[in-house]
Amino acid sequence: MDFNYTIEEVQFRQDLRDWLVDALPQGWGDTVFEPEDEDERAMFRLAWEQKLHAGGWAGINWPIEYGGRGATLIERAIFAEEMARAKAPEGLNIIGHNLAGTTILRHGTEEQKKRFLPKIISSDEVWCQGFSEPNAGSDLASVRTRAVRQGDKFIVNGQKIWTSYAQYSQWCFALVRTDPDAPKHKGLSFLLIDMASPGISIRPLRQISGESEFNETFFDDVEVPVENIVGDINDGWRIAMTTLAYERGPEDALGRQIRFKQELDMLIATAAATTQGGGKLIDDPVVRQKLARSIAQVEIMRLNAVRTFSKYLNGEDRGPDASIIKLYWSHAAQDMYEMALDILGPIAPLAAPDPASASGGRFQLSYLQSKAFTIYSGSSEIQRNIIAERMLGLPR
Amino acid sequence: MNFAFNEEQKSLGETLGQALGDFPELTSPDPADGRSREVWGALSELGLFSLLVPELDGGVGLSLVDVALAIEALGSGLAPPIVASTLIATDILAVYGTEEQRTRWLPAIAEGEMKFAIAVLEAGQGYDPDEVQTAIAGGAVTGSKILVGDADQADAFLVLARGDGRPCLVVVAHDAPGVALRPHADLDPSSGFFELVLDGAAVTGDALIAPGAPAAAIERLIDVAATVYAGMQIGIAARMLDTTVEYVKTRVQFGQPIGAFQAIKHRCADMAVAIEAGRSAAYYAFWAVAEDAFDRSRAASMAKAYCGESARDVCNQAIQLHGGMGFTWELTLHRFLRRAKVLEHGFGNHVWHYERVMATSLATQMPSIAPQAALVD
Repeated sequence: MDFNYTIEEVQFRQDLRDWLVDALPQGWGDTVFEPEDEDERAMFRLAWEQKLHAGGWAGINWPIEYGGRGATLIERAIFAEEMARAKAPEGLNIIGHNLAGTTILRHGTEEQKKRFLPKIISSDEVWCQGFSEPNAGSDLASVRTRAVRQGDKFIVNGQKIWTSYAQYSQWCFALVRTDPDAPKHKGLSFLLIDMASPGISIRPLRQISGESEFNETFFDDVEVPVENIVGDINDGWRIAMTTLAYERGPEDALGRQIRFKQELDMLIATAAATTQGGGKLIDDPVVRQKLARSIAQVEIMRLNAVRTFSKYLNGEDRGPDASIIKLYWSHAAQDMYEMALDILGPIAPLAAPDPASASGGRFQLSYLQSKAFTIYSGSSEIQRNIIAERMLGLPR
Repeated sequence: MNFAFNEEQKSLGETLGQALGDFPELTSPDPADGRSREVWGALSELGLFSLLVPELDGGVGLSLVDVALAIEALGSGLAPPIVASTLIATDILAVYGTEEQRTRWLPAIAEGEMKFAIAVLEAGQGYDPDEVQTAIAGGAVTGSKILVGDADQADAFLVLARGDGRPCLVVVAHDAPGVALRPHADLDPSSGFFELVLDGAAVTGDALIAPGAPAAAIERLIDVAATVYAGMQIGIAARMLDTTVEYVKTRVQFGQPIGAFQAIKHRCADMAVAIEAGRSAAYYAFWAVAEDAFDRSRAASMAKAYCGESARDVCNQAIQLHGGMGFTWELTLHRFLRRAKVLEHGFGNHVWHYERVMATSLATQMPSIAPQAALVD
């Protein structure tokens, strides 16, 4: 065990820091923030991602031959830490980087890797995920969207739901039913679908935060070339499990931890600046207990991720440990936002853009957004089943 | 960077777990039977007490990271507290002892011939070392320390006292005049808790630890002890989860093992998450104290606070999931609950440590990374 960094790792960090100084707008994080409008914000995030790529900071631990940097998972972790430190914006193509790319890298053909990976890394192509359906949520294997082979094409019909960023996406990876007569896990295939194909329509869904990050996506006789299948026909469940392991895994958690740490730092600063009843919030012992608990939990999110990175680097396979990571960060982050409103006291309900709100009303939006954490990427109940059955060996 | 233990470190943990397993009385129903004196000899034969002693002083010169899994095993095996307290004292003497002090104590510790108990707490005071009232004056120390584990077996006590108006650590020999013990009645009789009554107990000037920088030695004592306790707490929690998982796989109600019910499964999963998160915190703390990292105190306090809460939650769940058997004397779950509870209140409970996390976080603009100087070749 050694948390010291090698000369190469220290150099990597320094190069990134130097690059960030010039790359971020003047006053970033203090006086300059992301656009408020949802679409503008999405485009801002996309532009940021493309800027990272232009600087050589995309696909950190992906192979050089597909446009990545060829660095280690440790450098990937350093990258996340430095993004947090600089309060860097999030990206838009998170699903492309974390899910589509990793799945294609693991199970795709050489042609698929050459075709798709460079454009994911450069964020020239944004991806969305077509897994959930109205009647296939936690019971994902019961998806009904049909893909019927006709010559060198699949014809896809059906509906997906909760497709985040579909409105910005050029590509979608989807779990579809190719054999309705086989047992439900054995009749699925994993397709890569061009979102510009005729027959695809999307309808925004409004979330409790008021935002419309996700959508319903409809497929009506959509043609997909057979070469866009990942893995074999009817072997899609196995491929999807890889995707889910990455969706719940340490890379994802570390990316999210960046944002949680930033917001926690902001909350601590807010508590230090806010006076109630003649005293500063930060001097209230109850407030301090609550803040400290979140400080510990946000740090543990990072340590969990780094510890799991080390397991993978030391040759262990990705497995149900991803569910531990996801279950931990989702509840810890939800607790943090609940706590944020707790400590703000009477002004807790005031949201953006009310001038009397704390810290521009940012915590209220985050609080509402946090309700999704324990539901998406597999609900907490599903994660607990996975941990209990596959890690602890309890009977199904 | 690598956040994993090597084969030697894992093997040491397993060896220690097996060695403690040879003493079933440690985990027998009656806590009073858990005060086995033979355990010390067995662990000493394995060389445990030489591991943290520097090579120059006749030891093996390993670090706290090397023994982290061994300490977890001390927790899960309900090892007598004198084992952990001697290891903690070894670290303090190795780091802060003068050459004369090291020569006097460390070779004897390495040989397993010297046992240290640690006397920090006092009735009427909180966990904060600055509140200490026991005082050193004119070569004698006077005051009363409570909850000194295995005090009757100790050859010497590492005592927190006030000298020259400021808190410091001093070594008091068990057989010094003016030293008396009163057994406590307490939640965990297997911990052998005593009140240490010092009535003008003789101390020589060279028994003071780091007289030039007593606060630094106390700070390290708290950090090392908090980390060691966090490790033992996680050991207890992990054992409780294993025990519970085995039970719910075999206990049949409503025609099936109760472990097939989601109400049971989900609790077990939450226990597993708490343990893994606790390990992340505790293992990092072991590294931070071993390396004297910039965030040493914060890491130790995070670990103690988080693992303390996790261990108690897991023990509570374990008892609940064992149903009526869970609160019987015979099943011995109470032994682990009792030990977890006294560890939780040793060297600062979670409230005290969370406050310390807050204070250390505010005192330094914490970088999210180790400093640039942390280069290795």
